[in-house]
Amino acid sequence: MNTLKNKMNKYVKQTEFWVFLIILVLSLIIQGRSGAFFANNNLVDIARSMICPSIYAICALLAFVSTGPDVSFPLIAALSSYISIMIAYKTNFDGPWFVIFLVGMVFGALMGALNGFIIVKYKFPSLIVTLGTSSIFSGILLGAFEAERMDLPETLQRFGKLTLLAVKNEKTGLGSSLPMTFLILVVLYIIAYLILNYTLVGRGVYAIGGDEISAERAGFSVGKIRFGIFVINGMIAAIAGLSYSVMSMRYLPTEYAGGEMVVIAAIILGGTRLTGGVGTLKGCILGTLLLTMVTNSLILVGISVYWQKVFIGGIIIIGTAIPALQTYLNKKKKEVKAGEAA
Amino acid sequence: MENILSVKGIKKSFGGVHALKGVDLEIKKGETHCLAGENGCGKSTIIKIISGFYKPDEGTVEVEGKDYPVMTPTDAIRAGIQVIYQDFSIFPNLTVIENLAFNQVLATGKKMVNKKEFRKIAEDAIAKINFDVDLNALVETLPVADKQLIAISRALLDNAKLIIMDEPTTALTKKEVRRLFEIIEDLKKNGITILFVSHKLDEVFEISDSITILRNGENVISCSTSEMTEEKFAFYMTGRNFDNKELVENKKTEHGEVVLETVNLSAEGYENISFKLHKGEILGITGQLGSGRTELSLSLFGLNKPTSGKIIIEGNKVNIKDVTTAEKLGIALVPEDRLTEGLFLSQSIIRNITVTRMDALSNKIGILNSKDVVRESAKWVEELGVATKNHEFPVGTLSGGNQQKVVLARWLANNPKVLILNGPTVGVDIGAKYDIHKLLRKLASEGMAIIVVSDDTAEVVATCDSAIVMHGGHVKGILENEDLNEAKLAEAAV
Amino acid sequence: MKRIRKIDDNVFRLIIILITFLLIAGITKGGTFMKPSIFQTMGKQLAEYGLMSIGCGICMISGGIDLSCVYIANLCGIIAGLSMQKSGSSIIVAILISLLVGAACGAFNGFLVSYLRIPAMLATLGSYQLFQGISVVLSGGSSVSGIPDTYTSLGTLTIIGIPFAFIMFLLVVLIMTFIMSKTTFGTKVYLVGTNAKCAIFAGIKNNTIIIKTYMLSGLIAAVAGLLSLARINSAKADFGTSYTMQCILIAVLGGVNPNGGFGSIPGIAIAVLILQMLSSYLNTFPDISNYYRDLIWGVALIGVLIINFVINKKKTARLAKMS
Repeated sequence: MNTLKNKMNKYVKQTEFWVFLIILVLSLIIQGRSGAFFANNNLVDIARSMICPSIYAICALLAFVSTGPDVSFPLIAALSSYISIMIAYKTNFDGPWFVIFLVGMVFGALMGALNGFIIVKYKFPSLIVTLGTSSIFSGILLGAFEAERMDLPETLQRFGKLTLLAVKNEKTGLGSSLPMTFLILVVLYIIAYLILNYTLVGRGVYAIGGDEISAERAGFSVGKIRFGIFVINGMIAAIAGLSYSVMSMRYLPTEYAGGEMVVIAAIILGGTRLTGGVGTLKGCILGTLLLTMVTNSLILVGISVYWQKVFIGGIIIIGTAIPALQTYLNKKKKEVKAGEAA
Repeated sequence: MENILSVKGIKKSFGGVHALKGVDLEIKKGETHCLAGENGCGKSTIIKIISGFYKPDEGTVEVEGKDYPVMTPTDAIRAGIQVIYQDFSIFPNLTVIENLAFNQVLATGKKMVNKKEFRKIAEDAIAKINFDVDLNALVETLPVADKQLIAISRALLDNAKLIIMDEPTTALTKKEVRRLFEIIEDLKKNGITILFVSHKLDEVFEISDSITILRNGENVISCSTSEMTEEKFAFYMTGRNFDNKELVENKKTEHGEVVLETVNLSAEGYENISFKLHKGEILGITGQLGSGRTELSLSLFGLNKPTSGKIIIEGNKVNIKDVTTAEKLGIALVPEDRLTEGLFLSQSIIRNITVTRMDALSNKIGILNSKDVVRESAKWVEELGVATKNHEFPVGTLSGGNQQKVVLARWLANNPKVLILNGPTVGVDIGAKYDIHKLLRKLASEGMAIIVVSDDTAEVVATCDSAIVMHGGHVKGILENEDLNEAKLAEAAV
Repeated sequence: MKRIRKIDDNVFRLIIILITFLLIAGITKGGTFMKPSIFQTMGKQLAEYGLMSIGCGICMISGGIDLSCVYIANLCGIIAGLSMQKSGSSIIVAILISLLVGAACGAFNGFLVSYLRIPAMLATLGSYQLFQGISVVLSGGSSVSGIPDTYTSLGTLTIIGIPFAFIMFLLVVLIMTFIMSKTTFGTKVYLVGTNAKCAIFAGIKNNTIIIKTYMLSGLIAAVAGLLSLARINSAKADFGTSYTMQCILIAVLGGVNPNGGFGSIPGIAIAVLILQMLSSYLNTFPDISNYYRDLIWGVALIGVLIINFVINKKKTARLAKMS
């Protein structure tokens, strides 16, 4: 009994629990007002819209937990997708789709390595560095390569047409389908979960976010882990970027930039701590779900899409004000105590 | 007895600054050896060399007779050297288990997390010092003393032979220090050697078998503790002789009118406090952790809102709602932590000194008179003898003692009626401490009313005319005149 | 010697870069670059993002950041546009309303950052969505046009050959330079940005200072929004979205420390000039795409960071030795 109570207590203290509760309440409200939230096509639509932001969320999580914000992933996604698609065209490649993904990941890794190198070597704030590299990648993509919207290679188109699940709403006749890229999302989350929880490197990501100096003394290679995180972020961004093209059936170079802020907002809502060291994959999914849900459901409850941004902004502000106030109050209490102790 | 550690002729410099100029350190197996010296004497540098984080420019490090030409952190751990850092070196965001297990698991070069193994290591670790803690708790939710116990039990893993404790008592209460000393005695019985780094006199004499003192990166003396006296200790650390008699003789029993009075004052952290502070008086507020002394001082400075009771200044009831109001009423507070609360380290000396005087140095619409600003700053630099070549230099480039003078200058510049100092000599060298005490007495004799908030009983006895002893948010006693001595203070504090 | 030291090292370096660059441009492109019409265009173009960089810069000096300036500018532009459409006559009123809205948006940011303690990056991230959302709602998602000619003539107005927009920019630079370096408020902004906790103990009302700082940023953004309304005859909710990054970039290039406490307005202003000149210079090469600017700016940002890093390291070592 006691352990159950303890467990409950532990859950109640987690931000994830509250986000989950909000999602539940919100979905019931939307269902009540529109009767369409739990319709199969709406649920599949939401799942579909979540694919890319959720993959990006892993990048944002890794960066925030270990180092600080990374805002370069949308442009890494755009540039690495472009390069890999161009290579596929130039070589008339028509093999399996994942080869193109692998090529993209190699280039994503290179771009991530640039971020990682500068951040590790000079200890600059990651926000500023990734802003700078974003600008560079954007310049290369739109300036040097003069990338324009284009069709995808055959193999990617075939991959894009595969569906995991297709549903049709009996009442409205509206259909929706879940693309194969959803599986990529699932696989990535499983891998990330295993690495973050069951390997020492994964725990090191949290350790260096908690206290960098302690991590170094304990024997973690802080620099290597940090560098590795940005390289991996580059690879994950490449996957997200190609998934996005596959899902929209075209390569759209200018559609990527600007996605970073909402992703960051989502993971913060999901309980990732801005100062590092704390954040879970569960939180990433929940935060992304919350924002996607709001974006997708406004029409269902009869609110004009024009209001979308107002709602997102409002949610971010309210969602961040609460944990920020909480940590501030806790810290203040602790400080008074620590002040006494010293 | 053979030496477990023998360090000879270590030299180390950083960018032209010689931190160590040929230091020797010999530690016998099984003893508790104290390494003492003032801030900046090279204590922490030598620790970093022993634990493999710095490479010495010259000199040798031998552990149990084995020479280590290049010592790496891993070498040090394998040789049985463990360091317990002042900040405990823990991960606040992780569980107790992970905090305890990481070092050992990483040392073995494992790549995967085995939860059972982690738990086993953690259980073994806390069993060694009979430490009772929830292993699944996040460390950030634990009290300071528990954090230190985590650091200690972690160090005991790996069959440590030599444990280096860097200023281990800084964040502990008296009771917790007792507990720590018991643990050290236990460790000693088990044949573990301790290198105890400290500058606190009473602790050093209590716990250590032998002492090495460093000054300015050089050895001053190494001897057994029994050959050392308190006077000699202070002299070796600072190269100066101190005489507290002068301070004590200057104490006064007669004071001017009441400047500040509290009547049944209550706020978060304390309840029902009444006291009177007179012109020219130095009043001590002392007590242990959680006694409410800091909270009380913050209330007088507008940083901890009283819930009931009165604060009366020169006969008028006042509402000190924020720092600005406190300043206007002539109250100044020198915060406890110079580095995070007292100074804008990267800003110029001028700005640091004149920050509280900005309104006086500007016209009605807030435009600063830069000439006056410079003049004001120069005046205080001169008056308190801050050693600097250029007032535009960041305060962070000054030495600790000079930094403290800048903080004091900032508050004296406002010409306060009441000066509150919270832990005025925490982390300050003996020499600078003495200077500050002398300065306080001088200010008091000029008519300033001073409150010294401190848990350092020796300091309270040496400087204060009277003292309020607090415990659990209440006044436990007010001591004056002959009653104000260390024995009575200790008695009242329990 | 002391006189010369008054200009801080960073501004001095930036001036040298500016002059060097002018020389290179003059030599390589001569007549096609060094002519008044090019400088006039530059003056018009730089004013909007130049103003927002200054707003963002002071927020960064105070230890925060303002990601919302572009959207405040758009919102103010839209509001001014709408009120001019409706009450055709009173342009002055429209301008005043728009400035007021800008200040209010900024104050809202400041409130979130100070009283609610939301980290500035997140607070302004949320508020920019909010401001953009309000703009979309107000403008119905399309661009607001039909601006009276009397107002749009400001976009082409020049005074002794200098574009009106550039004069406004210079004016704001001068005022802000004065505020930041000569007033108690300015000094307090620097101190709060250096160490907020210490500032509280020194009797600075941090919350008030932060709110005022963001309010100023909002106000400056409103000026930028009004200028762009005049220049392009319309306002839109998603105009100039890439300016957000540019503003941060320019502020850092201009010597603002991303961690707060350091940076100067002249530094930011010169960085604006350098970057505008660079991009105008590139424009004179027909075969170089406009997008190359992003590349160059990114490289410049990281390059400047690294150069400052190396220089500061040497400087601290020198100061430590001296004292």
